[in-house]
Amino acid sequence: MLKFALKNMLTKKVKMILIIMSIVISASVAILAYNVAEQVNDGLINTTSTYDTIIGPAGSSTQLAMNTLFFTDKPLGTISYEYVEQLEADSRVNVVIPFAMGDSYNSAKIVGTKPAFLDGKELKEGEMFGDVFEAVVGSSVAKKFGLSIGDELVTSHGLSENGEKHEATPLKLVGILDETNTAYDNVVFTDIETVWKVHEHHHDEDEEGEEHEDRDEDHDEHEAEGHTHEEDHDEDEEHEGHAEEGTVCAIILKCKTLAYAEEVKKEFASNSEILTITPAEVIREIINNVDLSRKIIYILCVIIMIMNVFVISTITILNMYDSQKDIALMRLIGIGTGKVNVLFLIQNAVIGLISTAISFGISRLCLHFMSDFVASMGIVLDASKIYPFEWVIMAAVFVISVLPTLICTVHISRKDIIRN
Amino acid sequence: MIRTENLVKRFDGDTLIKYKDITFEDGKSYVLLGASGCGKSTLLNMLAGVITPSGGSVYFDDEEMSRKSQKKKDKFRIEKIGYIFQDFKLIEEMTVEDNINVLKLEGVKTSGMDEVLSKLGILQKKKKKVKQLSGGERQRVAIARAFVKAPDIILADEPTGNLNYEIGKSVVKQMLEIAKGKTLVAVTHDDRLADLFDCIIDMNDIASSHSESEVELDA
Repeated sequence: MLKFALKNMLTKKVKMILIIMSIVISASVAILAYNVAEQVNDGLINTTSTYDTIIGPAGSSTQLAMNTLFFTDKPLGTISYEYVEQLEADSRVNVVIPFAMGDSYNSAKIVGTKPAFLDGKELKEGEMFGDVFEAVVGSSVAKKFGLSIGDELVTSHGLSENGEKHEATPLKLVGILDETNTAYDNVVFTDIETVWKVHEHHHDEDEEGEEHEDRDEDHDEHEAEGHTHEEDHDEDEEHEGHAEEGTVCAIILKCKTLAYAEEVKKEFASNSEILTITPAEVIREIINNVDLSRKIIYILCVIIMIMNVFVISTITILNMYDSQKDIALMRLIGIGTGKVNVLFLIQNAVIGLISTAISFGISRLCLHFMSDFVASMGIVLDASKIYPFEWVIMAAVFVISVLPTLICTVHISRKDIIRN
Repeated sequence: MIRTENLVKRFDGDTLIKYKDITFEDGKSYVLLGASGCGKSTLLNMLAGVITPSGGSVYFDDEEMSRKSQKKKDKFRIEKIGYIFQDFKLIEEMTVEDNINVLKLEGVKTSGMDEVLSKLGILQKKKKKVKQLSGGERQRVAIARAFVKAPDIILADEPTGNLNYEIGKSVVKQMLEIAKGKTLVAVTHDDRLADLFDCIIDMNDIASSHSESEVELDA
């Protein structure tokens, strides 16, 4: 029966391809939309659960959270490292992690921090950075640029690929992180001191080249007054957010209790140059907005599926009426209605299966390509991740492909065969 | 043996055809001759169980078939009857082989396909698509499909209707050759072929067309 059904399908290749294409287009969009919405949501939730407080320069709380947790956007600026030392001495705080960003390796952002920032992340190869100019890269960075342990990474000034190269201060790759399917996969991690040293060297080169000895003095004076490098160079886009020695872009905290976290937050609230946020709250706000988008995506999915029903039903019905002659022929030579129904049901089940499989494949392919795109925004889409509801969508697509056939064949095969 | 009793077929509108009782004996070939519209094909379709008579009965070896369920009639047709249609009833896009193998859907064995195709002289066309065949070849494929299951009864509705006389005659001869020993009832309007069959039945002698009102008046 299956063999005959396949042969019968092959006699109508063009029609079958058109039917499959129409199903695939709508089904893959529905599967893809759902998966992306879920993965973005999951990615945001997972990342916020580790730390309870982030301290950074005054500015946008969303930017601070997204920059520190997802490595997106530019840092708000810098604050003094003295705050780190102050918090390290604070008995209410368990974990204090300095965070600096400003340079890049090709398109991958470089984060200056402490090894503690990577607690819970497994190393696939090598070891954690310990000395200055040592670096650990995320799995996607290693894969993308074909890196292996011992390689030298020549970083660029700024976050764009076209920044000035730090040829004199390359980083030595000492470790590669295991795949985490998070934003960590797209980042180069090094010690905070490395960031400072690279900048110090870069700054010296700048000053030598431009013969700005006077300005160097001004700079030292300003630093002594507690001014950050960022404040001195407000107009200088290239230097925006760069952590010079003694400064960090953010401080990430894990307090002993939530009550302590609130206390610390309150203490810093009085400082107008400092912004203190609870990442969970900020991200919840973002998720609420994303959730609205998610609802829109679900509505779109439902609309697509309804369109699917109409498109598939129409094509199937037209196809079935086109097959009336074949059905009548089979009925005339004595093939029972049951067998005819099963034959066409098998045909449409095959179409349904092929369409569903292709839709799934296309959605994964799109996820794979989208992953590279959204990785720059700090979200890693895992093409192998399948949500249970995706099976529901695929099952619905299959049923939609088969159901109209069932109705049509029953209707057609019940007609007076001699009239067909 | 096939026997009809008081067969009547009513059509949409005002007409009905009444048939006199006929008996088709085993192993003989019959040809029903008559002009278009005299009820030849209708009779054949009622014998085959494709349509249900409005009145009367059809018996196969004293078993009344016309009142049985469509499922039983289908089963009987696929197992016992080889039906050859005027317009071949073949799937154009499929090969000769596949058109015969369609019977497998109902579990009919088609292992004798090559032998039948060979007898009909179209074995070499087995893998060809029906749409690539000539009218005569198509009719032979339709005959092959009817004979491959070795049926007890063969019904042929205008088997030469789409062929010229010479080809038609050769096709009928081949058909009769293969049908030897079986009951064959063929319908044709070409009386030149009649002599090839064992018995000739003139439809004018056994079927009469009436209007509904006429019948009511008689009653």
